[in-house]
Amino acid sequence: MREATLSLFRALGAPLVAIAITMALGFLLVASITDDPVQAYRDLLFANFDSLGNFALFLNRATPLTLIALGVIFAFRAGIFNVGGEGQLYAGAIAATVVGVFLADLPAVLLLPLAVATGIIAGAILGWIPAVLKVRLAVDEVVTTLMLNTIVLLFTSYLANQVIRDTAAYGAVSRVVPQAIWLPPMPGVPGATSGFLVAVVLAVVAWVVLFRTEWGAQVRAAGTNLRFAYAVGVPADRRIIGAMLVAGGLAGLAGALYVLGIGHRFEQNFSPAYGLVGLTCALLARIHPIGALATALFYAMMLNGAAYMQISTDVPRSLVNLLTGLLVLLMTARLTAGRRG
Amino acid sequence: MTVSSLLASVLEQSTPILLAALAAMITLRANILNVAVEGMMLVAAFTAIAVGSMTGSAALAFFAAVAAAILLSQLLALLTLRFSADFIVAGLGINLLAAGGTLFMLERFYNSPGGLRPTSFPDVWHVPEGSLSFIPIVGKAFEGQSFIVILALAAVPLSAVFLYLTPTGANLRAAGEDEHAARSAGIRVAWMKALAVGISGLLSGLAGAQLAMDKLHFFLPDMTSGRGFIGLAATLFGGGQPWMTAAASFLFGFFGALGDRLQVFAIPSQFVLMLPYVAAIVGLTFARWRVHRRNRPARIAESKP
Repeated sequence: MREATLSLFRALGAPLVAIAITMALGFLLVASITDDPVQAYRDLLFANFDSLGNFALFLNRATPLTLIALGVIFAFRAGIFNVGGEGQLYAGAIAATVVGVFLADLPAVLLLPLAVATGIIAGAILGWIPAVLKVRLAVDEVVTTLMLNTIVLLFTSYLANQVIRDTAAYGAVSRVVPQAIWLPPMPGVPGATSGFLVAVVLAVVAWVVLFRTEWGAQVRAAGTNLRFAYAVGVPADRRIIGAMLVAGGLAGLAGALYVLGIGHRFEQNFSPAYGLVGLTCALLARIHPIGALATALFYAMMLNGAAYMQISTDVPRSLVNLLTGLLVLLMTARLTAGRRG
Repeated sequence: MTVSSLLASVLEQSTPILLAALAAMITLRANILNVAVEGMMLVAAFTAIAVGSMTGSAALAFFAAVAAAILLSQLLALLTLRFSADFIVAGLGINLLAAGGTLFMLERFYNSPGGLRPTSFPDVWHVPEGSLSFIPIVGKAFEGQSFIVILALAAVPLSAVFLYLTPTGANLRAAGEDEHAARSAGIRVAWMKALAVGISGLLSGLAGAQLAMDKLHFFLPDMTSGRGFIGLAATLFGGGQPWMTAAASFLFGFFGALGDRLQVFAIPSQFVLMLPYVAAIVGLTFARWRVHRRNRPARIAESKP
């Protein structure tokens, strides 16, 4: 137990430093724009809690981020650099929408689990392709996941524009999925999706699976030292593929829950780079599931807070995009100077 | 006439892709998967428009754009080589920083998050109309192209000469192929990698300048729209060889130029736009499969569990 607490502390301590540096740089930037940088920063971080409505939007923002981050963690723990979160998210969202729109006549008891399952499977397939190519042929997974992202985005754009488009609405959005399968709001917080509870539960489950089961231990062994894993008889190939199925499935679930709980339809540009931000959250948490829940909440706070900040002060909301870039850029850097060649 | 116009539009579509591909190729030869080309292109495009509209000088805008991209590339080199940041993560960070930074500048200094459209913008040098009419078909296609198109075409043999015929190029490839062997042979690996990233910045800068300065004369937040990644796909499809990479770039540029015309055959444009990415995965898989086949006996002898 003590070891678990320590590892949790390490997972939370390290990102706090990276975040602190970025936030300090951001504060200097804000101070150069507005006369009231404290007000701007207060809104950026805490306006999410000013009203129940804001809080609901904050939880909605955190849900896909947490799930994608959890997926990335499974992949990274297995030693796979999965940058395909965005594609897997879109695949899950479009699959759930297609099922919801085309099978709208089914009773909700059947349709809801079917839509969620299809979303998970769609994401998992996208995780499976790079995993198999990596394991069997040593094809670089960064390339395949990166390329698959664009392929999926183009494919969903085709579906949203030409197949399930809502002709009455403006822009590339699909028809609305039947109201019977919308996720219920979170108890006590109207407007917030109960999908957030799913994300919290899954964060705990992910920790248990990764750190308290044999399967999780084998996944981590494959990710830490592949040759050693083989040597001690771990079926590393299968564990890597399994971990990528879980990774894709979680991102697919994020997409399905977004459609069923928040958007109620597929919108072509629904994700403000959730895939990359989810990856950021996972790395900031030093690929620890519980830590990732914390960093996802932090990021949701910033993403939504930027809009409130723009309203109350004249600081552009794209400050957050700038800070995200800075954070990702600095995130893996070590202050101790590296080897010199 | 139509052949010339198709050729001209292929040339126009391919140039940014070709430059991005060569940028990714140089770093790939130093064993770096450069995902930051996209961001460096975007910053170059923004700098070109911002400086051009401010000073009214096309030359200043062009050099500022290239300088900005090189500067950004060296920031990436500093963080990864000096402070051992992960190349992929930092590269994605560069992309986010470029997208966020340009958007921030648009909102902060130009008060127009939608883009930057200066009312007047200096024109760059284009091949004059009628000057190449004596060459059949091809000559006509080159008329009206910017000087950056010519630079891009020249960059293909130049990069081949650099990589294969100069000592620096050989060292760069050595650093990419076997870092430890290169180091023990006295090659300064980190310098070679920084050089590769720098050249990649230069080429990305040219690509961004071409996008913004050739005909459009404005900047949009998502202006590069994945061309950096298509370039990366072209490099991987071309196996990191200059001529093959150039051929793949022209193939992908051809898809792009053909994209709208193919809708006549009821093929949605999205499927045409997908082709470069699919080609990259298939090409890479095929290349790895061939290596796998060739190595099979050895792998069996290795008695893998």
